[in-house]
Amino acid sequence: MATNTESVDLVGDETVANIARAALFAALMGAFAYVSFPNPLAAGVPITLQVLGVFLAGIMLGPVWGAIAMVLYLVAGAIGAPVFSGGAAGIGHLIASPTLGFLWSYPIAAAAVGLVVHRGVGLTEYKSASTPTLVGAMVLGTAIIYALGTVGFAAIQYDPWYASLGQAFVVSSLPFIPVEAVKIAAAVGIVKSDAIAAA
Amino acid sequence: MIGYTPGSTIVHRLDPRGKLAVQLAFAIAAFAHTTPRGLAALTILALAIARLASVSVVRAILSVRVLAPFLIAAPLVAAIRLSPPAIDPSAAFQPALASYRVLLVFVVAAAYVHTTAVRESRAAIQRTIPSRPGVLLGVGVSLVFRFLPVLRRELTTVRAASAARLGTERPLVDRIRRLVVVGVNRSFTRADRLSAALSARCFAWNPTLPQLSFTRLDIPVFATAIGLLAAAVFV
Repeated sequence: MATNTESVDLVGDETVANIARAALFAALMGAFAYVSFPNPLAAGVPITLQVLGVFLAGIMLGPVWGAIAMVLYLVAGAIGAPVFSGGAAGIGHLIASPTLGFLWSYPIAAAAVGLVVHRGVGLTEYKSASTPTLVGAMVLGTAIIYALGTVGFAAIQYDPWYASLGQAFVVSSLPFIPVEAVKIAAAVGIVKSDAIAAA
Repeated sequence: MIGYTPGSTIVHRLDPRGKLAVQLAFAIAAFAHTTPRGLAALTILALAIARLASVSVVRAILSVRVLAPFLIAAPLVAAIRLSPPAIDPSAAFQPALASYRVLLVFVVAAAYVHTTAVRESRAAIQRTIPSRPGVLLGVGVSLVFRFLPVLRRELTTVRAASAARLGTERPLVDRIRRLVVVGVNRSFTRADRLSAALSARCFAWNPTLPQLSFTRLDIPVFATAIGLLAAAVFV
């Protein structure tokens, strides 16, 4: 073992709590990958909760730790945790998959949602955020996720990528956007209810 | 499903940093040479890597079957023309090669996942990314591995309990809300217990890591990575 003989540099209590929450939230994102609901609009496109996890990370953990939770999720998946959709894993999802744009957008979208809801990088009481603010933040998050997802899809599948953005949007994003409204409605319900014990 | 499987293949004994370098270089080479010749050469290399790691190519590809609609739709959509002739197969050729290239990278990535333990990957992360960000990533990632099965089981239990009480008859938004509320609450409760336990055990920025050291076995691994990069840039 590579023993460290320097004095122990303890992590502060607040940071420990944040690391634990970010890690648990990342694991919850992974568990969400296994949950799918039947889609009332298009039977062939099941609804998964990953994007809802991104929204809630930004809202509940704030822009900084929400984004860190998403990075932990991506890195864990890259080195082998079965957390990507359908229980897949591997760094291929981040460097070569047609869905890599969606994955890379998660930390950015979580940070953006958190910045809007908390009005800055600090953590405020998210339950006091107004419904229009919450919805606006999540619409912005959705836009970021699908914009980067479309560009990523075009970059992987088409050459030159910028000439095929329309095709990429139709294949990679269009079927999934309508059900985002369902997830936004669910997220508002979750945040506004008193059911979440720890704030 | 591809996951870490203990074993004694030569790939199990390699340093994780070398294996990561090969995966990145392989992807770069595959993007630089998305031609029939380039992909044929990379196919041979990917199959050789899978063989050395004794990972099943079929299982590696099946593990990403959820991507199949995208990989198939991309060339099909590219072939559709609004003006006659309605189908232009030659336009589908390049996107089809791109889809095939994705599968090759996944086979190589599966070899890494199959042969590398979490603690080795964690040590590689903490030795590659300096100071506190590295520690945070390393600790966080190993916690994700630890808690993923727990949370997954809890969500499954909640869904089964809800279905037994006719929860499946509720509106979609309500079903999602109920499941996520339980998931988030349990995660935060666990996180609070975990952080108390971490503090009680002197959770530090400078913990003791498992040893990683390069051996002679790793020389060909890095040579492969450099060769792939050189092929991507110069050939």
